[in-house]
This record gives sequence, structure tokens and C-alpha cells, in this order.
Amino acid sequence: MTQHRRVAVTSPQTRLAHARRRHRTAWRPPTLDPGEVRQAVHTYRAQRRWALLALAMLFALLIGLPIILRVTPELDHARVLDIPVSWLATVVIPFPAMILIARWHLRRAERAEDIDPPRDPVVPRGEGPGECP
Amino acid sequence: MSVIAVFAVVPVVMITLLVGLRGVAAMRTTSDFLVASRRVSPLLNSAAVSGEYLSAASFLGVAGLVVKDGMGALWYPVGFTAGYIAMLALVAAPMRRSGAVTVPDFAEARLASTALRKLAAVTVLVVAGLYLVPQFRTAGLVLSVVSGGPYWVGVVIAAAVVSVTLAVGGMRAATYVQAFQFCFKLLLFIVPAIWLLLQVTPDVRHEAVHPVPFTHFARDTPVDFGLEVTLEVHEPLTVRTGDGAPLTIPPGEFRVAEGTRLTFPAGAPVPDVRGGAPPGGPDWQRPLLDVQDTGHPLLGTWAILLATMLGTMGLPHVLMRFHTSPDGRAARRTAAITVTLLGVFYLFPGIYGTLAKVLVPQLYLSGATDTAVVALPSQVDSGAAGTVFTTLLTAGAFAAFLATSLGLLLVVAGAISHDLVPGGLARLRFTVVAAAAAVVLLALPSARLDASVLVTWGFTVAASTFCPLLVLGIWWSRLTAAGAIAGVAAGLLATAGAIVFTLFGPPVDGWQAILVSQPAPWSVPLAFGTMVVVSLFGRPPAWSTTAMLRLHLRERRDPVPLRGRDPGHSSWSARRSSAVRRMIRRLGR
Repeated sequence: MTQHRRVAVTSPQTRLAHARRRHRTAWRPPTLDPGEVRQAVHTYRAQRRWALLALAMLFALLIGLPIILRVTPELDHARVLDIPVSWLATVVIPFPAMILIARWHLRRAERAEDIDPPRDPVVPRGEGPGECP
Repeated sequence: MSVIAVFAVVPVVMITLLVGLRGVAAMRTTSDFLVASRRVSPLLNSAAVSGEYLSAASFLGVAGLVVKDGMGALWYPVGFTAGYIAMLALVAAPMRRSGAVTVPDFAEARLASTALRKLAAVTVLVVAGLYLVPQFRTAGLVLSVVSGGPYWVGVVIAAAVVSVTLAVGGMRAATYVQAFQFCFKLLLFIVPAIWLLLQVTPDVRHEAVHPVPFTHFARDTPVDFGLEVTLEVHEPLTVRTGDGAPLTIPPGEFRVAEGTRLTFPAGAPVPDVRGGAPPGGPDWQRPLLDVQDTGHPLLGTWAILLATMLGTMGLPHVLMRFHTSPDGRAARRTAAITVTLLGVFYLFPGIYGTLAKVLVPQLYLSGATDTAVVALPSQVDSGAAGTVFTTLLTAGAFAAFLATSLGLLLVVAGAISHDLVPGGLARLRFTVVAAAAAVVLLALPSARLDASVLVTWGFTVAASTFCPLLVLGIWWSRLTAAGAIAGVAAGLLATAGAIVFTLFGPPVDGWQAILVSQPAPWSVPLAFGTMVVVSLFGRPPAWSTTAMLRLHLRERRDPVPLRGRDPGHSSWSARRSSAVRRMIRRLGR
């Protein structure tokens, strides 16, 4: 055979260990550093607020638009470019609105993450001043 | 016609395999296989998410539903897209930060319960099964319509291509294939739509926006009945059968056998199909979903929106894609970009739907509205251009099955051989092939099931199991393993019960009919409620809050976590665990 054949040089024990099917290791509860906890609490609160706001806007759109279409049947007969307004409303309103909500939330969420929590360990409340730009 | 099938399918298959091979390099571990070593950029990943998500239900199904159920079907894409905003706001980043590889992994990482992991894996199998079978079924149907070949050939071709790509290349191959196929599908959906709009006569364009009920055949119309259908005829009707012999149908119910071709003469009244109103009527034109004519269009629309939106958040194959992002931030960006990509794609199904209502309304008789998109070009242009565009649309539809099936099959393989019976890479590869074979066996007898119904059920199961598990797991520190198990089990049983009742139970009508066939409005709150109540009766473990907070912690960008202080110095009071406890206690208030 060729001279450049590559040979495994691990010890038999290592090879055995690799060949053996890996059993799941014992689970250990997660631990956080106090600095990390402060950061996490801070981000958690900020993210929760922005998430709820984004969802509120989304639900307002998805619950409100069908109601509007239900109570105003005359939109079926109003036409823009010869297309019934109520048909346009199911396509032209929700998608741009959802894209805007997504962009808005992404900006808020990333900004909330970038801000460090107040440094003073005595006052680690999440409601820092820099959180709401 | 089989030329079309060859030209549509062979290039898609070849390109899929070629692009897939690009991902084969350097794959050694389960993590490489399942999550592409977590090295996928947000833009590529969101293209892959969209490519995976735009299944046959989007490419063909929405336009078909517009023909069948009316303009209200345009709410489906809205719900499909809205799911990504919920994903973006609630799930994407924390889910990725959990470091899990699959959804069951996440459940175990957050709640440390092996039983929950197994239950979640079973749920993954249920959702993926409800989603995969219609993909394979539609692949078989479209190929058999275009090529005239038997149904099973299409199913087997789809299964073979998907499982080979996946077994060889894993998630990395799937990522490139799906991202590529998103661009491919977008192109193959938009260009024919514009061509159709320019090519149809002004009369057709006018009728598309001024629909008239489909009550009389405008011209001699051949209809292929692929499945057995019961028609209701009100006056004697003379049609021609496949061999040209005239056949007079007496008034009353008439059973059309499977595989029959009937040609209805011009001017003849359109027979009724049991359980449906003809497309184009006043109800058809209303942009709300009154699926079974229950008289509650608002409830019907909300039920679909809720199921599709919350279901998207719990779809295991979509969640898995977020795990391929390098960090939580990239996962969040992926979700945001996906909303835009889907928004562009979903501007077009309405065009296909309204044109199909004018040009091929007879598909509603045979129940084959899923093939409306593919049937359109030949109605507009009987020459070479029509054939070319039929080929393009068939190729796009086939790409849609492939991309979605890739992701789903990967999730099934992951659930079986990563969560239920943990094994190595070789086992994962074998599981992919075995799972594909099992799905083929399930898809062969289900040709008559409605693809959109099955897919919506998949969404509903996901919405009532994984959605509460993820939302409460990420945002509520008091969730216990017992509560999570009870909630997932309650959601799974409730939706399964509703599905069984719809299939085999006595018919109901009114608003109950909506709640039985679309159980999301009550099954999702039920699952949430069960989780909360059972958790409140129990006691979360001491590490529960830390486990939740860890999911919200941004990735460390600076190597030294505590600037200016010696992190190992034990005399600093804030390092004591009592400091951690104090901060965590405040969270509850």
C-alpha cells in the first residue's frame, strides 16, 4: 500500500471511549455569576416590555382588520385600480404593517440588549434610566 | 405532457443534489448534522427559513383555497407571516441561547425532565407527520397531473431525493438547498404571475375583479376526476365521457367514479358539489373565512389566524433552523428578515387565485383546486410559452415540496435518534432514510385527504403544545416540569380528540363546527391554563429562575465579565450567592 497511510495514534482507552456510545452526562443546575444575573434581569424586563408591545400591535392588527372588514361591507364595492378595497386590505395592509412591527421590535430588542445595567450593585433594579431611549 | 415533468423535475433534483453536496464537507458530529455547526448568517438563514416554510401549502394551496373558499383564504398567508413576529418577540433569541439542538433538548435544558423530553419528541413526530404526509401527497398529485403517470411515482421520487440529500449532507446541505430554493421559488412564482397578468385578455382581467358566480360552463369543459366525487344535478345534463360517448345524467345525486373524464358542454348548468357553494358568489367575494358556511365569518377567520400564527411559533422544523444561527442576536435578526421575505412572496397567491377562479373554476368540481396554479398557463397560451411556464411552475412546486420535506425529515430523524433513542451520526443518517420510507407508506393511501386541512391540523397541534411550552418556559420562572408535561399532554389530547371527532364524529353545525374543525381558539388556552395551574400547585426547583434568566443573557462580547474587579475575589459581597438570591427574588415582584 502507499507509504502515507495515516494511522491513529490514540491510546486504546481513548479509542474505546470514543467508540462507546456517549451516555448523557449528569444534569447540573445552571449557575450564573452575580454580574450576569443583574444583566439578565435587566434584559429580561426590557425584552418583556418590548415583546408585549409588539404582540399588542400584532393582535390589534389581526383582530381589528377582520372586524373592520366585517362591519363595512361597502368596502367590497369601493374600488381602487378596479380592485375591491376589501380584497386589497387583506394583502396591502397586513404585510407592510407586519414588516414595520418586525423592524421596530428588532431595533428595540437589540438596543435593550446593548445597554449595560446600572453598575451600582446596591441598586440593581431593572428600571434603569437608559433603557427607554 | 411527460416532457414537462421531466424538464421540471430533473433540473430541480440535480441542482438540489449539487447544492447539497456543497454542504457535505467536514461533517463529523451530531451537531454538524443537526444544526450545521451553528455558523449560518442571518440573511442566509432567513432565506433558508423562508425556503423551508413556503411549502406546497403556500405555493399551490393558497391559490387553490381562494378558488374553493373565496377571498377569505388570503388570511392564511397573513397568519403564516404573523407567526414570525411572535417568534421574533418571544422565542427566537432565548431559544437559541439555551444552547439546545432540538425542541425536546430545549425542554430538558430548561426543566431537567427526561419524561418531558420524550413527550416533546413524540409531539415532534405528530406535528411533522401531519405536515410531511400532505407534502408527499401533493408532490405525487402534481407530478401525476402534469405527467399523466401514476401517483405513487411522484411520491417515491420526492422521498428518494429528499432522503438522499439529507442523509449525505445533513443540516448544512439543507441550509444551502433551502436558501437557494427560496430564491428559486420566488422567481418561479413572481415571473409567471406577471406573465399571466400581461397575457390574459382584458375580459379575463375584468372578470377577475368583478367575479360572477360559476353557474354555467362558458365553453366545452373537460374535467378529470382523480378521486370519487358526488355531484348534485338539478336538471338532466348531457355530458361526454372520456371516449366521446354521450352520457345523460338524471337529476339527483350522481357519483363520478375515480379516474373518470367528463366533458361538460358549453352553456350547461354547473352541478353542485356536496358541501360547497360554487366559487364567485357573494359569500365567496367577502374577504373573511366562513369555511363551512356557519354564519360566523369573524370566528372562522380568527380561528385560522390563531392556529397559523401560534402554530408557526411551535413548528419544530422552523425552530430547528433558529438553532443554526451563531448567537441569539443572529437568530432574532433571522426572524425579522424572514417577515420581509415572506411578505414579498405572499403578495402573489391572490393574483393566481383570482385568475384561476376565472380560467379554471371547474377544478372545484373535481376537488383538485391544489393544481390550479399549475393549470393556469396552458389556459392562457396553448403554444410553447404556455408549456414553458407550466414547466417553470411545476419546477417551483416541486422545489417547494423538497425544501419543506428536507426540514421536516431532519426534525423527525432528530426526534427519533437524538431525543428518543440517542445515537451517533450513522444512526441519524439511517433514521432519515427509514423515516422517509415510513412517510411514503403513509402518503400512498392519503391521496384523497385535503392537504390544507392536514397542514392546518399540524399547525394546531404545534400551537397547543410547543407554543405554551416555549412561551412559559422562556418568560415564566415558576413553570415546573409537571406543569409542562400536563400542558403538553392536554394540548395534544385536545387537538387529537378534535381531529378524530372531525373525521369520524357526527356532523355539527354553527359555531361549534368551527371550534371542532379548528380547535385552536380553545385548545391553546387550555394548554396554557393547564400548565399554569399545575405549575402553581407544584413548587419550582431552586435553580428555576436562574435557568430562565440564562436564556435572556446576551452572549459575552468582552472576555472579562466584570471589568475593573477581580472576579475570583470572594470577599466582594456581590459575588456571594446571597446577592444572586436577592436579585432573583426581586424579579418575582
